[in-house]
Amino acid sequence: MNLLRQRTAMLGAVLLVLGGRASAQIIPIRTVPLAQGDQFLLFPSSNLGMGGVSIALSDSLFDPFRNPALGVRVDAAHLFVAPTAYSSSRETGGGRTLPIALIARTGAWFGGFAGAVQQIERSRPFSFSPPFAVALPRGGPVATQDVASDNRSHGNSYAFATLGKSLGVTGVSVGGSVQWSTLHALDGVDLLYPGSQGLSQSGHVLDLRLGLNKEWSGNRSLEILALHDRFAMTQDVSYIDVFWDPGLQQFVQAPRVERNRDRNRTTGLHVAYQRPLTSTGWRIGLIGTANIVSSPRIATNEIVTVPRDQGRATALNLGVGFSKARGLALFGVDVVYEPIWSNSWAVADVPMLTVGGETIPAGGRTIVNRFRFSNVVLRLGVAQEMALTNLQKAVRLDLGLGVRSMHYRLTQEDRLAATEHPLRNSWVEWSPTWGLSLRFPDLELRYRGRVLNGTGRPSPSFNFGGPVPLDSFAPNNLVVTPGETINLAGVTTITHQISLSLPLR
Amino acid sequence: MTKHMVRALGVGLLAVAAACVETDRVLPQPPSLDAQLRQTLGQWGVVPILPQAPQNPALVALGQALFFDKELSGNRDIACATCHTTANGMGDGRSLAVGTGGTGVGPGRTLGPGRQFIPRNAPTLLNVALGLPYAFWDGRVSGFAGFFQSPADSALPAGLPNILAAQAMFPVTNRREMRGVPGDTDVFGKPNELAQYGDSQWTEMWRGVMLRLVAIPAYVAKFNAAFPGVATSQLEFRHAATAIAAFETQALTKIDSPFDRYLRRDDNAMTEAEKRGALLFFGKATCSSCHNGPLIGTGGFVDVGVPQIGPGGATEPPRDLGRGDLAGNDFYRFAFRIAPLRNVELSAPYFHDGAYPTLESVVSHYNDVRTSITTFDSMQLAPDVRATYHGDAATITAVLDRLDFRLSQPLHLTVAERADLVAFLKSLTDPSARNLSSLVPPSVPSGLPVQ
Repeated sequence: MNLLRQRTAMLGAVLLVLGGRASAQIIPIRTVPLAQGDQFLLFPSSNLGMGGVSIALSDSLFDPFRNPALGVRVDAAHLFVAPTAYSSSRETGGGRTLPIALIARTGAWFGGFAGAVQQIERSRPFSFSPPFAVALPRGGPVATQDVASDNRSHGNSYAFATLGKSLGVTGVSVGGSVQWSTLHALDGVDLLYPGSQGLSQSGHVLDLRLGLNKEWSGNRSLEILALHDRFAMTQDVSYIDVFWDPGLQQFVQAPRVERNRDRNRTTGLHVAYQRPLTSTGWRIGLIGTANIVSSPRIATNEIVTVPRDQGRATALNLGVGFSKARGLALFGVDVVYEPIWSNSWAVADVPMLTVGGETIPAGGRTIVNRFRFSNVVLRLGVAQEMALTNLQKAVRLDLGLGVRSMHYRLTQEDRLAATEHPLRNSWVEWSPTWGLSLRFPDLELRYRGRVLNGTGRPSPSFNFGGPVPLDSFAPNNLVVTPGETINLAGVTTITHQISLSLPLR
Repeated sequence: MTKHMVRALGVGLLAVAAACVETDRVLPQPPSLDAQLRQTLGQWGVVPILPQAPQNPALVALGQALFFDKELSGNRDIACATCHTTANGMGDGRSLAVGTGGTGVGPGRTLGPGRQFIPRNAPTLLNVALGLPYAFWDGRVSGFAGFFQSPADSALPAGLPNILAAQAMFPVTNRREMRGVPGDTDVFGKPNELAQYGDSQWTEMWRGVMLRLVAIPAYVAKFNAAFPGVATSQLEFRHAATAIAAFETQALTKIDSPFDRYLRRDDNAMTEAEKRGALLFFGKATCSSCHNGPLIGTGGFVDVGVPQIGPGGATEPPRDLGRGDLAGNDFYRFAFRIAPLRNVELSAPYFHDGAYPTLESVVSHYNDVRTSITTFDSMQLAPDVRATYHGDAATITAVLDRLDFRLSQPLHLTVAERADLVAFLKSLTDPSARNLSSLVPPSVPSGLPVQ
């Protein structure tokens, strides 16, 4: 069982989710309040400053990217540039992204392209000292071998394409999209290997979507989205191992590289419906999402506790949203409930004997972790647009708040020891958002920001003697199994996005 | 509307400011055995041991012959292998060793007429080549990289490659162990010429042994093969000691125990009970406060409250002051070397005088040292040693007066925890150390019988 494998898959999956990619379509599964940067916030969003409300409020900028059938709402060709930067406090990482996107429509056809380049900074632990204390005896100096620590930042690149068609008078449009991400860095992954000297990441994400949108008169709409997402990441983690050389009678060091692989596949179906409630400007939206996630390979960390090699999860969400437009003011609120069932398990490499004398064959499950999540998401926001000189020049202010309450129960079955361990955990993350937009006849300039609070990043600490609270954290997502005391130092993650939208004529 | 906007903005800014408060938290995650253990091992400097470099085969062959040859003893009746037997984990299975004049081997070995026990247990020679800083229970031979302190002081020849070779210089000089006393005759009835030297005539004693060895053509051939650049006339006992050390290095290094494999990142190498025991060892039971580092011991000298058995040391017989018997070491009264623990399962009985016969009894002793020494049952000792137990209150009090502070209070280990500790200690056993019979040569150059 490779203990070092799980975290990044989890982290990667979560990051994919938390980005602007699809806040409803891919449901995040996390077992710890790990701070995550907005690495995957690639596309501009109108509603980001309003807490990201989306169920009863359309997002004219973001909708074509999350559901390719919604490109039908694009009335003219637009070029988007949306430089985005985020950083976590206490110097624990950050990143910068420069996406460029073109969305256009001609007749019944619509489509677009987007690309982005990105730089992810190395996340630095707050303080880290080698775990040697009292035990290094006499015996001369420690022989060392140079292995440079990896302090570099790494680049990622993204490519996106979408194509759709309106089916005419039926009000139906369909579309498909593909996104390919070439990854050399996932934010925060280096923190998963606190004892490492270097980390080399490589991998990709393939995201395929087929969407359908039906619009009726009276501003009613139904959208259906099917998606398939494949995440594959490999981490080559470099360590310096210490040995005792009896010939030299001293400690010596030797490099070691450990390869960890993450593989996740998510298949999902998302349905959303919107309609006006009354003639007073209120709208209601309903969503329902189902994700089936399988993890044939899971990366874990050396300080991760309970081994687990594979996993599977079923995640649902059910949400309702309301919005109201009153003049140039806008209000929206979403409430989403997310029940999730996730199992992960460790696989025996060799036949293993249980305490009861039975043999678990190679490939059998030695530890099974059953998670049951009950998460609730609340998003709300307001926006006020004010005309400057005439209706063709306006300024808009946004404010919003996103709250995510995470709660889970874990039953951990150790089939070797014939024991079961129950565990409950919960936390709340909240992120105020804000925005300022300037709209001119020939361009729109938007600034959006948000700060994520209630999360943390691993805080190394070492104790001597007695039970040791480990300086690590279990990662997130479906198959992560907590198994140690986790110290997270609270950090805030702040994201800034400036988007420029240029109509092309 | 503007008022509303200002209010909303105000509230929003407050929320943003509040969101910038960083709150640390510790998640209530249950501990994991492997995760805890690996970090704990790192804290105590317990790291994998690299394999030994292969020794010169000719040197090893010579050392093996010398190790099993009684020719080195004054009375030609005892070899290194007599007290360090392959059948007893390279100890003798006895509480106190029986030196020259004795008969038999292993636990059944008996004292010769008029002889006394060697004051201390014959320690295992397994893994003695891993880099121990001290030799003998009181550490009277110590040093590193060719610079050694020993009872011979400046008489100890230069050129000894390691402490193992330095240690091998001394058993042949000890009257109880191998040299004998004036008036002894050897197994052939000839006078024991080695016994005639005074106890400080180190050079003469070593020369006497070498004279015996170079008188045997087969040894000359072996020495010449092992030391091709040294003329026979220039051979010294240090060459013999060097060869014995090479043999011990080559043959007795056993570092492939389940624990060693675990250190080499094989999580499946140890059982759950062994891992729990390891966590206790390096945690609650505080064993690792002494038994730490790559060798899991040898870092110093400690009074661990062991009952006094045997004829005792030189200073206050019948008490054995351990390192405190060495000049200038009064601080170390009743303190003995912290033994490295690999293969400890094979080296019973335990402590400097073999007071405890099993690992279970050792763990029980550490669980409550004061109770253990005051209620020590001498019936657990072999009958011939039983009478040498010093259970008088004055001796016990003297031992407890110097008891290491870490052992002054009971550990309060449960029965299950003690069992786990024992399981861990047994995980330190290299399976290949269980059967060392292949090391015994069919014969030795002197023609004396091999035990």
